[in-house]
Amino acid sequence: MSTAPERDENGRFVKADRKAGSPVTPGGEHPLSKVLFGWVENKRTPNLLLLAVSVLSVFLILLDFVLHRHDYISFAETGGFYAFWGFGAFALAVLAGWPLGHLLRRGEDYYGEADTRPFDTEAEE
Amino acid sequence: MMPLLPALNPGLLMVVMGLIAVVLPWQRLRQFLLVLTPVFCSVLLLGAERGVDLATVQTLGLNLVLFKVDSLSFIFALAFLIASFLNAIYAMHTDDRLQDGMAMAYAGAAIAATLAGDLMTLFIFWEITAVSSVFLILRAGTKAAYQAAMRYLVIQVFSGVLLLNGLAYVHGDGGDLSLTAFTSFAEPGSVLIFLAFAIKAAFPFLHNWLQDAYPKATVVGAVVLSAFTTKLAIYAFARMFPGFEILIWIGAVMTVFPVFFAVIENDLRKVLSYSLNNQLGFMICAIGIGTPLAINGAAGHAFAHIIYKGLLFMSMGAVLYRVGTVKATELGGLYKSMPWTTIFCIIGAMSISAFPLFSGFVAKSMTMSAVGSGGYTLVWLMLLFASAGVLEHSGIKIPYFTFFGHDAGHRVKEAPFNMLLAMGLAAFICIAIGLPMIGGLGYGWLYGLLPCTAAAVADVCLSSGEAIKTYQPYTLDHVITQMQLLVLAILAFMLLKRAGLYPPERPGTILDTDWFYRKPGYGLAKWSGDVWLKLGPAMTRISAALFQRTFDRLEAAFSPRGALAREGLATTMSVWAAALLGFVMLVVLFVG
Repeated sequence: MSTAPERDENGRFVKADRKAGSPVTPGGEHPLSKVLFGWVENKRTPNLLLLAVSVLSVFLILLDFVLHRHDYISFAETGGFYAFWGFGAFALAVLAGWPLGHLLRRGEDYYGEADTRPFDTEAEE
Repeated sequence: MMPLLPALNPGLLMVVMGLIAVVLPWQRLRQFLLVLTPVFCSVLLLGAERGVDLATVQTLGLNLVLFKVDSLSFIFALAFLIASFLNAIYAMHTDDRLQDGMAMAYAGAAIAATLAGDLMTLFIFWEITAVSSVFLILRAGTKAAYQAAMRYLVIQVFSGVLLLNGLAYVHGDGGDLSLTAFTSFAEPGSVLIFLAFAIKAAFPFLHNWLQDAYPKATVVGAVVLSAFTTKLAIYAFARMFPGFEILIWIGAVMTVFPVFFAVIENDLRKVLSYSLNNQLGFMICAIGIGTPLAINGAAGHAFAHIIYKGLLFMSMGAVLYRVGTVKATELGGLYKSMPWTTIFCIIGAMSISAFPLFSGFVAKSMTMSAVGSGGYTLVWLMLLFASAGVLEHSGIKIPYFTFFGHDAGHRVKEAPFNMLLAMGLAAFICIAIGLPMIGGLGYGWLYGLLPCTAAAVADVCLSSGEAIKTYQPYTLDHVITQMQLLVLAILAFMLLKRAGLYPPERPGTILDTDWFYRKPGYGLAKWSGDVWLKLGPAMTRISAALFQRTFDRLEAAFSPRGALAREGLATTMSVWAAALLGFVMLVVLFVG
């Protein structure tokens, strides 16, 4: 049994893919997002990711004690040097954000130039 | 016609095409031409003979070399051409004659400057890049953009003025304006030219025009701006100042300080601008080392950087276009609406973070090796710190706060197809030149373009006296150490985030050194203006009164009714004449 094709208020046919949920309709979600990033919404994902990265970290550090690396700088050949430096540098950069934010952050309109949205954007206010 | 073409600087052709585009009202025709022009110009560049003056002009007693290609200028010009091709595709969704045309003219000027064979030609196109690019900021149409554009223009033109002054000294010293590298700051003009380049390369304390102007440009404008001006300066430094030790330290500082600003900045296009600054630091540092490996590192890094930084600006541009903002506080969860943009952004982020298999890895390895083997331990540690910093702001912060993190609830359309196409092509290049060599594809393609290889040698490669060696990026040591650095930094991110120690994004303006000229500097200018407005009339009144009084006295003495005329003229005048003569004689006596 076939149903009559759907028409809009002007009597034109409504294309099937223009209905709610399709990627071209504002307000919808892109169908590809579920396929590619559906796992992000899983509640266990954060824990699993942390576990995976931790295991990988330990593995990479252990590699240093199995293989003998050569480096241009002698102390960089110490086991776990790059791992230590990467962790420390990242933590330092991020933690410095607390005092620096207090020191350097002012109001959005500090220079009287709060409106920086260029004309060639599409979105409505 | 045919003999003319090989002598035509492709950049000049692009400038002309850009100016034509400004008056072409038909959108599709104009955009078709603008996509085609870089392709045609690439053919001209590839066919150009290396190492000879292809076009020369004698004017005003100067011998101008309009077109010269060698292996150093080639890789920069090619990167610029690819960028302008991608940018032309990226801009196709808007119908904006001025923006389209000026983007092409600006890219053309940067290419023409790169392919210039003398300082005067370099200067001319150096200034054209400034004047054409300012429209990309002005077009945003906001008060903030207008004011930033004016500051940008003043600073850029000032850089040109310094260059012109410097080249005048060089000319005065021997009349040779050819682009031969300086050997020390003792050479006339070298300091001025160094400063001119330093402004465009956004050296520390001279950098703020970049973070001020780029985030306020149009969606397309910021993408275009990110490619050319600063990399033209990198090219100029590699050409004129290779091996200057001061550059090593300046470069190292440049890699480190933007990291801290990028962490607390809320505007993600501004975060990318700080990140751009940090990347330039790596290149400047490599140029300071000056060995063939280091020059290759700077050039390879510039090439890879132009593509992945453009890609990151494109992805943020797409978000800005659809959502209307790129403030981290107002974004999140966009992977639901813009999954393609998300993927391309992540590819750009992994490239700039120098993950193995991506372009940043094969490019940055050369610089790190050159610094390490040069024995600059402290500098090497600073660059390693900055590498983790890049991962923080460009590798994690940009994609995480935009596409994941807290869902801000924006449900928008995916980016327009032309934007996705440009991003897709850029992402393809990021991977294609980053892979290990498999069946003729991979990093070898990028390495084949480098200025210091067995097949091609630019003059600057020989200045350090070191031999040219083949470099292997994919050794076990390189891959393992880079993965250790990055994975542990990611672990740090996860742990800090869980512990609530990651500073939350907050709206606001972050003060940087531009505060000095935007607040006290501007305040001083305004104050002195106010003072002058009050003081001026007062001084006019005082001087008028003074003149009036003096005139009255003189009139009282010398006029026909005056004091001197009353007693017999002869006696009084003779006394005065004698006094005057005596005075003159005294003066002559003492002075003579």
